[in-house]
Amino acid sequence: MKRLATIPALALLLAACDTAPAASFKDASLTLPDDPLDLPEGPGRDAVIENCTACHSPSTMLQQPKVSPEKWKSIIGKMKTLYKAPIDDAAVPAIVEYMVHVQSQPEPGA
Amino acid sequence: MTGTRLSRRALIAGAGTAALAAPTFAGMGAKLGGMIDLALPGGPSLRPTTPAFPGKGEMIVQRIRPPLLETPMAAFREGIITPNDRMFVRWNWQMPTEVKAADHRVAVGGAVTKAVSLTLDDIASAGETVSVIAVNQCAGNGRGLSQPRVTGTQWGNGAMGCAKWTGVRLKDVLAKAGVAAGARRVRFAGLDVPLTDGAPQFIKSIPLDIAMRDDVLVAWGMNDEPLSILHGFPLRIVVPGWFSTYWVKMLATIEVLSGEDDSYYVADSYRMPAQPITPDAKDFPTVPITTMPPRALITSHEDGDVVKLGKPLVLEGIAFGGDAALDRVDLVGKGWEIPCTLGPDEGGPYAFRRWQVTLPQVAGDFEGIGVRARNVNGAVQPADFAWNPSGYARNVIERITLRAQ
Ligand code: HEC
Repeated sequence: MKRLATIPALALLLAACDTAPAASFKDASLTLPDDPLDLPEGPGRDAVIENCTACHSPSTMLQQPKVSPEKWKSIIGKMKTLYKAPIDDAAVPAIVEYMVHVQSQPEPGA
Repeated sequence: MTGTRLSRRALIAGAGTAALAAPTFAGMGAKLGGMIDLALPGGPSLRPTTPAFPGKGEMIVQRIRPPLLETPMAAFREGIITPNDRMFVRWNWQMPTEVKAADHRVAVGGAVTKAVSLTLDDIASAGETVSVIAVNQCAGNGRGLSQPRVTGTQWGNGAMGCAKWTGVRLKDVLAKAGVAAGARRVRFAGLDVPLTDGAPQFIKSIPLDIAMRDDVLVAWGMNDEPLSILHGFPLRIVVPGWFSTYWVKMLATIEVLSGEDDSYYVADSYRMPAQPITPDAKDFPTVPITTMPPRALITSHEDGDVVKLGKPLVLEGIAFGGDAALDRVDLVGKGWEIPCTLGPDEGGPYAFRRWQVTLPQVAGDFEGIGVRARNVNGAVQPADFAWNPSGYARNVIERITLRAQ
Protein backbone atom coordinates (compact mmCIF):
# COMPACT_ATOMS: atom_id res chain seq x y z
CA MET A 1 0.00 0.00 0.00
CA LYS A 2 2.63 2.49 1.06
CA ARG A 3 4.89 1.20 -1.64
CA LEU A 4 2.67 2.66 -4.36
CA ALA A 5 2.64 6.07 -2.81
CA THR A 6 6.33 6.66 -3.40
CA ILE A 7 6.31 6.24 -7.15
CA PRO A 8 4.53 9.45 -8.18
CA ALA A 9 6.51 11.33 -5.56
CA LEU A 10 9.78 10.23 -7.08
CA ALA A 11 8.75 11.36 -10.53
CA LEU A 12 7.70 14.70 -9.10
CA LEU A 13 10.87 15.30 -7.17
CA LEU A 14 13.14 14.76 -10.08
CA ALA A 15 11.18 16.97 -12.39
CA ALA A 16 12.53 20.40 -13.19
CA CYS A 17 11.52 22.67 -10.39
CA ASP A 18 10.00 26.10 -10.76
CA THR A 19 10.44 27.06 -7.14
CA ALA A 20 14.16 26.36 -7.03
CA PRO A 21 16.48 29.28 -6.42
CA ALA A 22 17.95 30.56 -9.65
CA ALA A 23 21.63 29.80 -9.41
CA SER A 24 23.10 33.18 -8.69
CA PHE A 25 26.35 32.91 -6.87
CA LYS A 26 27.45 35.61 -4.47
CA ASP A 27 30.73 35.57 -2.57
CA ALA A 28 30.46 33.87 0.80
CA SER A 29 32.43 34.24 3.98
CA LEU A 30 32.21 33.19 7.57
CA THR A 31 33.72 34.17 10.90
CA LEU A 32 34.01 31.24 13.27
CA PRO A 33 33.25 31.84 16.95
CA ASP A 34 36.22 32.04 19.32
CA ASP A 35 37.79 28.70 20.04
CA PRO A 36 38.59 28.77 23.75
CA LEU A 37 41.46 26.54 24.81
CA ASP A 38 39.32 24.66 27.29
CA LEU A 39 41.96 22.35 28.63
CA PRO A 40 41.60 21.80 32.38
CA GLU A 41 44.72 22.29 34.48
CA GLY A 42 46.83 19.18 34.80
CA PRO A 43 50.32 17.76 34.33
CA GLY A 44 51.39 18.02 30.68
CA ARG A 45 48.84 20.64 29.67
CA ASP A 46 51.51 22.76 27.95
CA ALA A 47 52.66 19.77 25.89
CA VAL A 48 49.09 19.24 24.70
CA ILE A 49 48.67 22.91 23.81
CA GLU A 50 51.92 22.91 21.86
CA ASN A 51 51.41 19.67 20.00
CA CYS A 52 47.70 19.00 19.73
CA THR A 53 45.71 22.19 19.20
CA ALA A 54 46.85 23.42 15.80
CA CYS A 55 44.61 21.24 13.64
CA HIS A 56 41.60 20.87 15.92
CA SER A 57 39.97 22.28 19.02
CA PRO A 58 40.79 20.61 22.34
CA SER A 59 37.25 19.19 22.46
CA THR A 60 38.52 16.57 19.99
CA MET A 61 40.59 15.11 22.84
CA LEU A 62 38.30 15.94 25.74
CA GLN A 63 35.17 14.33 24.32
CA GLN A 64 36.77 10.89 23.88
CA PRO A 65 35.60 7.97 26.01
CA LYS A 66 38.04 6.79 28.66
CA VAL A 67 40.81 4.78 27.00
CA SER A 68 44.12 3.27 28.13
CA PRO A 69 47.52 5.03 28.03
CA GLU A 70 48.47 2.63 25.20
CA LYS A 71 45.47 3.77 23.19
CA TRP A 72 46.48 7.42 23.72
CA LYS A 73 49.97 6.53 22.50
CA SER A 74 48.49 4.96 19.40
CA ILE A 75 46.21 7.97 18.77
CA ILE A 76 49.26 10.26 19.00
CA GLY A 77 51.09 7.91 16.64
CA LYS A 78 48.20 8.18 14.16
CA MET A 79 48.33 11.99 14.34
CA LYS A 80 52.00 11.83 13.51
CA THR A 81 52.24 9.17 10.83
CA LEU A 82 48.90 9.67 9.08
CA TYR A 83 48.12 13.37 9.54
CA LYS A 84 51.80 14.42 9.63
CA ALA A 85 51.41 16.27 12.91
CA PRO A 86 54.81 17.73 13.87
CA ILE A 87 54.78 16.22 17.35
CA ASP A 88 57.84 16.38 19.54
CA ASP A 89 58.63 12.75 20.49
CA ALA A 90 59.95 13.90 23.85
CA ALA A 91 56.52 15.37 24.66
CA VAL A 92 54.57 12.15 24.09
CA PRO A 93 54.79 10.83 27.68
CA ALA A 94 53.55 14.19 29.02
CA ILE A 95 50.66 14.25 26.54
CA VAL A 96 49.67 10.72 27.52
CA GLU A 97 49.94 11.57 31.20
CA TYR A 98 47.73 14.62 30.75
CA MET A 99 45.03 12.78 28.83
CA VAL A 100 44.95 9.95 31.36
CA HIS A 101 44.77 12.50 34.20
CA VAL A 102 41.92 14.47 32.57
CA GLN A 103 39.98 11.29 31.90
CA SER A 104 40.28 10.25 35.54
CA GLN A 105 38.56 13.44 36.72
CA PRO A 106 34.77 13.66 37.12
CA GLU A 107 33.06 15.35 34.19
CA PRO A 108 32.79 19.08 34.92
CA GLY A 109 29.21 20.01 35.66
CA ALA A 110 28.02 16.38 35.68
CA MET B 1 50.02 25.67 -1.30
CA THR B 2 52.98 24.92 0.94
CA GLY B 3 52.93 28.48 2.26
CA THR B 4 49.58 27.94 3.94
CA ARG B 5 50.65 24.63 5.48
CA LEU B 6 51.88 24.18 8.97
CA SER B 7 55.42 24.32 10.09
CA ARG B 8 56.15 23.26 13.64
CA ARG B 9 56.82 26.90 14.46
CA ALA B 10 53.46 28.02 13.06
CA LEU B 11 51.73 25.30 15.04
CA ILE B 12 53.23 26.51 18.28
CA ALA B 13 52.57 30.15 17.46
CA GLY B 14 48.93 29.36 16.73
CA ALA B 15 48.58 27.50 19.97
CA GLY B 16 50.15 30.35 21.90
CA THR B 17 47.51 32.92 21.00
CA ALA B 18 44.74 30.52 21.85
CA ALA B 19 46.19 29.87 25.29
CA LEU B 20 44.64 33.03 26.71
CA ALA B 21 41.19 31.57 26.85
CA ALA B 22 39.12 29.89 29.54
CA PRO B 23 40.44 26.73 31.12
CA THR B 24 37.63 24.18 31.31
CA PHE B 25 35.18 22.34 29.13
CA ALA B 26 32.43 23.51 31.46
CA GLY B 27 33.74 27.04 31.02
CA MET B 28 33.17 26.65 27.32
CA GLY B 29 29.50 25.94 27.98
CA ALA B 30 29.16 28.98 30.13
CA LYS B 31 30.78 31.08 27.45
CA LEU B 32 28.84 29.74 24.52
CA GLY B 33 25.33 29.16 25.79
CA GLY B 34 23.67 26.14 27.39
CA MET B 35 24.71 22.56 27.95
CA ILE B 36 23.08 19.40 26.67
CA ASP B 37 23.49 15.85 27.90
CA LEU B 38 23.84 13.38 25.02
CA ALA B 39 23.50 10.36 27.36
CA LEU B 40 26.69 8.77 26.07
CA PRO B 41 27.36 5.66 28.16
CA GLY B 42 30.23 6.25 30.57
CA GLY B 43 30.64 9.88 29.42
CA PRO B 44 31.88 12.46 28.90
CA SER B 45 28.34 13.25 27.91
CA LEU B 46 27.79 16.99 28.34
CA ARG B 47 28.25 19.28 25.36
CA PRO B 48 27.92 23.04 25.10
CA THR B 49 25.24 24.44 22.80
CA THR B 50 25.51 27.74 20.97
CA PRO B 51 23.76 29.91 18.41
CA ALA B 52 27.11 31.65 17.71
CA PHE B 53 27.88 30.10 14.31
CA PRO B 54 26.73 32.45 11.53
CA GLY B 55 23.54 31.18 9.92
CA LYS B 56 22.97 28.56 12.61
CA GLY B 57 20.45 28.37 15.43
CA GLU B 58 21.15 26.61 18.74
CA MET B 59 23.54 23.77 17.85
CA ILE B 60 25.44 21.22 19.90
CA VAL B 61 29.16 21.99 19.74
CA GLN B 62 31.23 18.86 19.24
CA ARG B 63 34.11 20.95 17.94
CA ILE B 64 34.61 24.55 16.87
CA ARG B 65 37.60 24.02 14.59
CA PRO B 66 37.14 22.38 12.14
CA PRO B 67 33.41 22.75 12.88
CA LEU B 68 31.42 19.75 14.08
CA LEU B 69 27.91 20.82 15.05
CA GLU B 70 25.18 18.39 16.04
CA THR B 71 21.44 18.94 15.60
CA PRO B 72 19.51 18.84 18.88
CA MET B 73 16.73 16.17 18.80
CA ALA B 74 14.16 18.93 19.38
CA ALA B 75 14.73 20.07 15.80
CA PHE B 76 13.19 16.80 14.56
CA ARG B 77 9.89 17.22 16.43
CA GLU B 78 8.00 18.72 13.50
CA GLY B 79 7.83 18.24 9.75
CA ILE B 80 10.20 16.36 7.51
CA ILE B 81 12.59 19.18 6.57
CA THR B 82 15.47 20.11 8.83
CA PRO B 83 15.83 23.90 8.60
CA ASN B 84 19.18 25.14 7.34
CA ASP B 85 19.97 26.74 10.68
CA ARG B 86 19.62 23.35 12.41
CA MET B 87 21.33 21.02 9.90
CA PHE B 88 24.41 19.29 11.34
CA VAL B 89 27.86 20.42 10.21
CA ARG B 90 30.86 18.18 9.68
CA TRP B 91 34.34 19.02 8.35
CA ASN B 92 37.34 16.69 8.54
CA TRP B 93 39.93 19.42 7.87
CA GLN B 94 39.47 23.16 8.32
CA MET B 95 37.58 24.61 5.36
CA PRO B 96 38.33 28.07 3.90
CA THR B 97 36.17 30.75 5.51
CA GLU B 98 35.90 32.82 2.36
CA VAL B 99 35.07 31.79 -1.22
CA LYS B 100 34.86 34.19 -4.17
CA ALA B 101 32.17 33.03 -6.56
CA ALA B 102 33.71 34.52 -9.70
CA ASP B 103 37.08 32.89 -9.02
CA HIS B 104 35.76 29.44 -8.21
CA ARG B 105 36.41 26.69 -10.75
CA VAL B 106 35.50 23.04 -10.86
CA ALA B 107 38.14 21.03 -12.70
CA VAL B 108 36.76 17.94 -14.44
CA GLY B 109 39.54 15.59 -15.48
CA GLY B 110 41.04 12.13 -15.30
CA ALA B 111 39.54 9.51 -17.63
CA VAL B 112 37.66 12.04 -19.77
CA THR B 113 37.69 12.97 -23.43
CA LYS B 114 38.61 16.59 -22.74
CA ALA B 115 39.53 17.99 -19.33
CA VAL B 116 37.64 21.20 -18.56
CA SER B 117 37.62 23.90 -15.92
CA LEU B 118 34.09 25.10 -15.22
CA THR B 119 32.82 28.33 -13.68
CA LEU B 120 29.79 28.30 -11.42
CA ASP B 121 27.67 29.58 -14.30
CA ASP B 122 28.98 26.76 -16.53
CA ILE B 123 27.85 24.29 -13.88
CA ALA B 124 24.45 25.91 -13.37
CA SER B 125 23.78 25.77 -17.11
CA ALA B 126 25.16 22.25 -17.61
CA GLY B 127 21.67 20.77 -17.59
CA GLU B 128 18.17 20.94 -16.24
CA THR B 129 17.84 22.32 -12.69
CA VAL B 130 16.45 19.57 -10.48
CA SER B 131 15.67 19.08 -6.79
CA VAL B 132 15.59 16.06 -4.56
CA ILE B 133 14.58 15.78 -0.91
CA ALA B 134 17.04 13.54 0.86
CA VAL B 135 18.41 12.66 4.27
CA ASN B 136 22.00 13.72 4.79
CA GLN B 137 23.49 11.54 7.52
CA CYS B 138 27.06 11.23 8.78
CA ALA B 139 28.42 7.67 8.65
CA GLY B 140 29.37 8.10 12.31
CA ASN B 141 25.95 9.32 13.47
CA GLY B 142 25.34 7.85 16.94
CA ARG B 143 28.98 6.76 17.38
CA GLY B 144 29.02 8.06 20.96
CA LEU B 145 26.33 5.53 21.86
CA SER B 146 28.47 2.54 20.84
CA GLN B 147 29.10 -0.03 23.56
CA PRO B 148 31.95 -0.75 24.02
CA ARG B 149 32.75 2.88 23.21
CA VAL B 150 35.02 3.71 20.27
CA THR B 151 37.15 6.82 19.59
CA GLY B 152 36.28 9.41 16.93
CA THR B 153 33.71 12.20 16.96
CA GLN B 154 31.34 11.38 19.80
CA TRP B 155 28.03 12.12 18.08
CA GLY B 156 24.64 11.46 19.61
CA ASN B 157 21.97 10.78 16.98
CA GLY B 158 21.87 14.35 15.63
CA ALA B 159 24.45 14.07 12.85
CA MET B 160 21.64 13.87 10.31
CA GLY B 161 18.97 15.99 8.70
CA CYS B 162 16.65 16.09 5.72
CA ALA B 163 16.71 18.90 3.15
CA LYS B 164 15.65 19.78 -0.34
CA TRP B 165 18.78 19.86 -2.50
CA THR B 166 18.80 21.77 -5.79
CA GLY B 167 21.36 21.66 -8.56
CA VAL B 168 22.17 19.95 -11.82
CA ARG B 169 22.73 16.26 -12.42
CA LEU B 170 26.33 15.16 -11.98
CA LYS B 171 26.05 13.27 -15.26
CA ASP B 172 25.32 16.54 -17.08
CA VAL B 173 28.46 18.08 -15.57
CA LEU B 174 30.47 14.99 -16.52
CA ALA B 175 29.13 15.30 -20.09
CA LYS B 176 30.95 18.63 -20.39
CA ALA B 177 34.21 16.67 -20.29
CA GLY B 178 32.97 13.38 -21.72
CA VAL B 179 33.51 10.20 -19.74
CA ALA B 180 36.16 8.06 -21.46
CA ALA B 181 35.78 4.35 -22.16
CA GLY B 182 36.92 2.21 -19.25
CA ALA B 183 35.89 4.70 -16.56
CA ARG B 184 35.13 3.01 -13.23
CA ARG B 185 34.64 5.62 -10.51
CA VAL B 186 34.19 9.35 -10.07
CA ARG B 187 36.16 11.10 -7.32
CA PHE B 188 35.46 14.45 -5.70
CA ALA B 189 37.67 16.94 -3.88
CA GLY B 190 36.74 20.17 -2.17
CA LEU B 191 38.59 23.29 -1.10
CA ASP B 192 39.26 21.82 2.35
CA VAL B 193 42.87 20.66 2.27
CA PRO B 194 45.12 19.32 5.04
CA LEU B 195 47.21 21.75 7.03
CA THR B 196 50.27 19.52 6.77
CA ASP B 197 52.21 18.32 3.74
CA GLY B 198 51.74 14.63 3.05
CA ALA B 199 48.53 14.25 5.06
CA PRO B 200 45.61 12.73 3.15
CA GLN B 201 43.18 15.18 1.54
CA PHE B 202 39.50 14.45 2.15
CA ILE B 203 38.62 13.06 -1.28
CA LYS B 204 35.89 10.48 -1.94
CA SER B 205 34.71 8.50 -4.94
CA ILE B 206 31.58 6.66 -6.04
CA PRO B 207 31.13 3.96 -8.70
CA LEU B 208 30.34 5.27 -12.18
CA ASP B 209 26.84 3.75 -12.26
CA ILE B 210 25.95 5.68 -9.10
CA ALA B 211 27.49 8.87 -10.51
CA MET B 212 25.24 8.51 -13.57
CA ARG B 213 22.04 8.21 -11.54
CA ASP B 214 19.32 10.73 -12.37
CA ASP B 215 19.13 11.95 -8.78
CA VAL B 216 22.85 12.38 -8.03
CA LEU B 217 23.47 16.11 -8.08
CA VAL B 218 26.02 18.85 -8.08
CA ALA B 219 23.94 21.05 -5.79
CA TRP B 220 24.04 24.74 -4.90
CA GLY B 221 20.68 25.00 -3.15
CA MET B 222 19.65 23.73 0.26
CA ASN B 223 16.02 24.29 1.20
CA ASP B 224 15.76 27.01 -1.48
CA GLU B 225 18.72 28.98 -0.19
CA PRO B 226 22.29 29.01 -1.50
CA LEU B 227 24.58 26.63 0.39
CA SER B 228 26.37 28.45 3.17
CA ILE B 229 30.11 28.09 3.78
CA LEU B 230 29.39 25.68 6.63
CA HIS B 231 27.36 23.47 4.30
CA GLY B 232 29.81 23.57 1.42
CA PHE B 233 29.40 26.78 -0.61
CA PRO B 234 29.35 27.02 -3.55
CA LEU B 235 28.64 23.41 -4.57
CA ARG B 236 28.35 20.01 -3.00
CA ILE B 237 27.70 16.51 -4.25
CA VAL B 238 24.37 14.94 -3.25
CA VAL B 239 23.99 11.13 -3.37
CA PRO B 240 20.50 10.28 -2.05
CA GLY B 241 20.49 7.10 0.02
CA TRP B 242 24.27 7.18 0.62
CA PHE B 243 26.02 8.41 3.76
CA SER B 244 27.09 12.04 3.60
CA THR B 245 30.80 11.22 3.55
CA TYR B 246 30.32 11.06 -0.24
CA TRP B 247 28.48 14.39 -0.40
CA VAL B 248 31.75 16.30 -0.86
CA LYS B 249 31.43 20.00 -0.04
CA MET B 250 33.08 23.08 -1.63
CA LEU B 251 33.44 20.96 -4.74
CA ALA B 252 36.56 21.95 -6.69
CA THR B 253 37.64 18.80 -8.54
CA ILE B 254 35.82 15.96 -10.27
CA GLU B 255 38.17 13.19 -11.33
CA VAL B 256 37.08 10.20 -13.38
CA LEU B 257 39.05 7.10 -12.40
CA SER B 258 39.70 4.13 -14.64
CA GLY B 259 40.71 1.88 -11.74
CA GLU B 260 40.01 1.38 -8.06
CA ASP B 261 40.37 4.29 -5.66
CA ASP B 262 43.35 3.73 -3.36
CA SER B 263 43.12 7.09 -1.59
CA TYR B 264 43.04 7.05 2.22
CA TYR B 265 39.42 8.04 2.91
CA VAL B 266 38.14 5.29 0.58
CA ALA B 267 40.75 2.53 0.83
CA ASP B 268 41.68 2.84 4.52
CA SER B 269 38.96 4.65 6.40
CA TYR B 270 35.16 4.94 6.32
CA ARG B 271 35.10 1.15 6.18
CA MET B 272 33.06 -1.51 7.99
CA PRO B 273 33.83 -5.15 8.78
CA ALA B 274 32.61 -7.25 5.84
CA GLN B 275 30.94 -9.61 8.34
CA PRO B 276 29.74 -8.89 11.88
CA ILE B 277 32.64 -9.04 14.36
CA THR B 278 33.17 -8.97 18.12
CA PRO B 279 35.09 -6.13 19.79
CA ASP B 280 38.20 -8.29 20.25
CA ALA B 281 38.43 -9.30 16.55
CA LYS B 282 41.66 -8.49 14.70
CA ASP B 283 42.56 -8.49 10.99
CA PHE B 284 39.11 -8.87 9.47
CA PRO B 285 38.17 -7.95 5.88
CA THR B 286 36.42 -4.60 5.45
CA VAL B 287 34.13 -2.96 2.90
CA PRO B 288 33.51 0.76 2.32
CA ILE B 289 30.56 2.43 4.01
CA THR B 290 28.10 3.21 1.19
CA THR B 291 24.29 3.14 1.45
CA MET B 292 22.26 3.94 4.55
CA PRO B 293 20.11 1.40 6.37
CA PRO B 294 16.63 2.36 7.64
CA ARG B 295 16.19 4.21 10.96
CA ALA B 296 13.36 5.50 13.12
CA LEU B 297 13.42 7.69 16.22
CA ILE B 298 10.87 8.78 18.80
CA THR B 299 10.82 12.60 18.87
CA SER B 300 7.76 13.25 21.05
CA HIS B 301 9.34 11.81 24.20
CA GLU B 302 12.78 11.46 25.73
CA ASP B 303 14.19 8.70 27.87
CA GLY B 304 12.87 9.06 31.42
CA ASP B 305 9.83 11.20 30.56
CA VAL B 306 6.75 10.82 32.74
CA VAL B 307 3.41 9.89 31.13
CA LYS B 308 -0.08 9.93 32.64
CA LEU B 309 -1.33 6.66 34.09
CA GLY B 310 -4.77 5.64 32.81
CA LYS B 311 -4.70 8.11 29.93
CA PRO B 312 -4.15 7.56 26.20
CA LEU B 313 -0.60 8.16 24.98
CA VAL B 314 0.41 9.46 21.57
CA LEU B 315 3.97 8.75 20.43
CA GLU B 316 5.44 10.45 17.37
CA GLY B 317 8.66 10.60 15.47
CA ILE B 318 10.60 10.44 12.25
CA ALA B 319 11.80 7.57 10.11
CA PHE B 320 13.56 7.02 6.83
CA GLY B 321 14.20 4.00 4.65
CA GLY B 322 17.89 4.68 3.90
CA ASP B 323 18.65 3.71 0.29
CA ALA B 324 15.04 2.69 -0.41
CA ALA B 325 11.61 4.04 0.52
CA LEU B 326 10.28 3.48 4.01
CA ASP B 327 7.81 0.62 4.14
CA ARG B 328 6.65 0.51 7.76
CA VAL B 329 7.42 1.49 11.34
CA ASP B 330 6.53 -0.58 14.41
CA LEU B 331 6.64 0.33 18.06
CA VAL B 332 8.40 -2.51 19.86
CA GLY B 333 8.59 -3.38 23.53
CA LYS B 334 9.69 -6.51 25.37
CA GLY B 335 7.75 -9.26 23.61
CA TRP B 336 5.21 -7.05 21.83
CA GLU B 337 4.95 -4.78 18.82
CA ILE B 338 2.34 -2.38 17.46
CA PRO B 339 2.28 -0.98 13.90
CA CYS B 340 2.58 2.81 13.63
CA THR B 341 0.71 5.00 11.18
CA LEU B 342 2.93 6.68 8.62
CA GLY B 343 2.39 10.35 7.86
CA PRO B 344 1.95 11.50 4.26
CA ASP B 345 4.76 10.80 1.83
CA GLU B 346 5.80 14.42 1.42
CA GLY B 347 9.39 14.03 0.35
CA GLY B 348 9.81 10.83 -1.64
CA PRO B 349 11.88 7.73 -0.97
CA TYR B 350 14.99 9.36 0.49
CA ALA B 351 13.28 11.81 2.85
CA PHE B 352 12.25 11.70 6.49
CA ARG B 353 8.68 10.59 6.99
CA ARG B 354 6.67 11.08 10.14
CA TRP B 355 5.00 8.25 12.05
CA GLN B 356 2.54 8.17 14.94
CA VAL B 357 0.95 5.63 17.23
CA THR B 358 -1.76 6.00 19.89
CA LEU B 359 -1.83 3.69 22.89
CA PRO B 360 -5.41 3.67 24.26
CA GLN B 361 -4.51 3.61 27.95
CA VAL B 362 -1.26 3.79 29.90
CA ALA B 363 -1.31 0.86 32.33
CA GLY B 364 2.23 1.17 33.71
CA ASP B 365 5.81 2.08 32.87
CA PHE B 366 7.07 1.46 29.35
CA GLU B 367 10.47 -0.14 29.77
CA GLY B 368 12.85 0.00 26.82
CA ILE B 369 10.43 0.78 24.04
CA GLY B 370 11.64 1.77 20.60
CA VAL B 371 10.60 2.13 17.00
CA ARG B 372 11.75 -0.13 14.20
CA ALA B 373 11.75 0.96 10.55
CA ARG B 374 11.69 -1.35 7.54
CA ASN B 375 12.26 -0.26 3.95
CA VAL B 376 10.67 -1.59 0.77
CA ASN B 377 13.71 -3.78 0.10
CA GLY B 378 13.01 -5.58 3.36
CA ALA B 379 15.94 -4.09 5.31
CA VAL B 380 14.85 -3.75 8.92
CA GLN B 381 16.46 -2.24 12.02
CA PRO B 382 18.13 -4.86 14.20
CA ALA B 383 17.35 -5.38 17.89
CA ASP B 384 21.06 -5.88 18.62
CA PHE B 385 23.73 -3.36 17.83
CA ALA B 386 26.19 -4.47 15.12
CA TRP B 387 29.33 -3.20 16.88
CA ASN B 388 32.16 -2.07 14.64
CA PRO B 389 35.45 -0.39 15.54
CA SER B 390 34.61 2.97 14.00
CA GLY B 391 31.00 3.13 15.15
CA TYR B 392 29.63 3.46 11.62
CA ALA B 393 26.11 3.01 10.27
CA ARG B 394 24.41 2.71 13.65
CA ASN B 395 20.80 1.65 13.15
CA VAL B 396 20.00 -0.52 16.15
CA ILE B 397 16.49 0.14 17.54
CA GLU B 398 16.93 3.11 19.93
CA ARG B 399 15.09 2.44 23.19
CA ILE B 400 13.68 4.73 25.87
CA THR B 401 11.83 4.16 29.12
CA LEU B 402 8.69 6.13 30.04
CA ARG B 403 7.45 6.32 33.65
CA ALA B 404 3.72 6.22 34.33
CA GLN B 405 2.34 8.38 37.14
C1 HEC C 1 48.40 17.88 11.69
C2 HEC C 1 47.11 18.07 12.26
C3 HEC C 1 46.85 17.42 13.60
C4 HEC C 1 47.53 17.57 14.79
C5 HEC C 1 48.71 18.47 15.07
C6 HEC C 1 46.87 16.71 15.75
N1 HEC C 1 45.80 16.10 15.16
FE1 HEC C 1 44.43 14.94 16.11
N2 HEC C 1 43.35 14.78 14.38
C7 HEC C 1 43.70 15.34 13.16
C8 HEC C 1 42.71 15.00 12.17
C9 HEC C 1 42.70 15.40 10.71
C10 HEC C 1 41.73 14.22 12.84
C11 HEC C 1 40.45 13.64 12.26
C12 HEC C 1 39.43 14.74 12.33
C13 HEC C 1 38.05 14.36 11.89
O1 HEC C 1 37.79 13.21 11.52
O2 HEC C 1 37.19 15.27 11.92
C14 HEC C 1 42.17 14.12 14.22
C15 HEC C 1 41.45 13.45 15.21
C16 HEC C 1 41.86 13.31 16.53
C17 HEC C 1 41.14 12.56 17.55
C18 HEC C 1 39.79 11.87 17.36
C19 HEC C 1 39.97 10.40 17.28
C20 HEC C 1 40.47 9.92 15.96
O3 HEC C 1 41.29 8.98 15.96
O4 HEC C 1 40.06 10.47 14.92
C21 HEC C 1 41.86 12.62 18.68
C22 HEC C 1 41.53 11.99 20.02
C23 HEC C 1 43.05 13.42 18.38
N3 HEC C 1 42.99 13.84 17.07
C24 HEC C 1 44.04 13.70 19.29
C25 HEC C 1 45.18 14.45 19.01
C26 HEC C 1 46.25 14.64 19.95
C27 HEC C 1 46.31 14.07 21.36
C28 HEC C 1 47.16 15.43 19.33
C29 HEC C 1 48.50 15.88 19.86
C30 HEC C 1 49.41 14.83 20.22
C31 HEC C 1 46.65 15.72 17.98
N4 HEC C 1 45.46 15.10 17.84
C32 HEC C 1 47.29 16.53 17.05
C33 HEC C 1 44.81 16.12 12.91
C34 HEC C 1 45.75 16.50 13.85
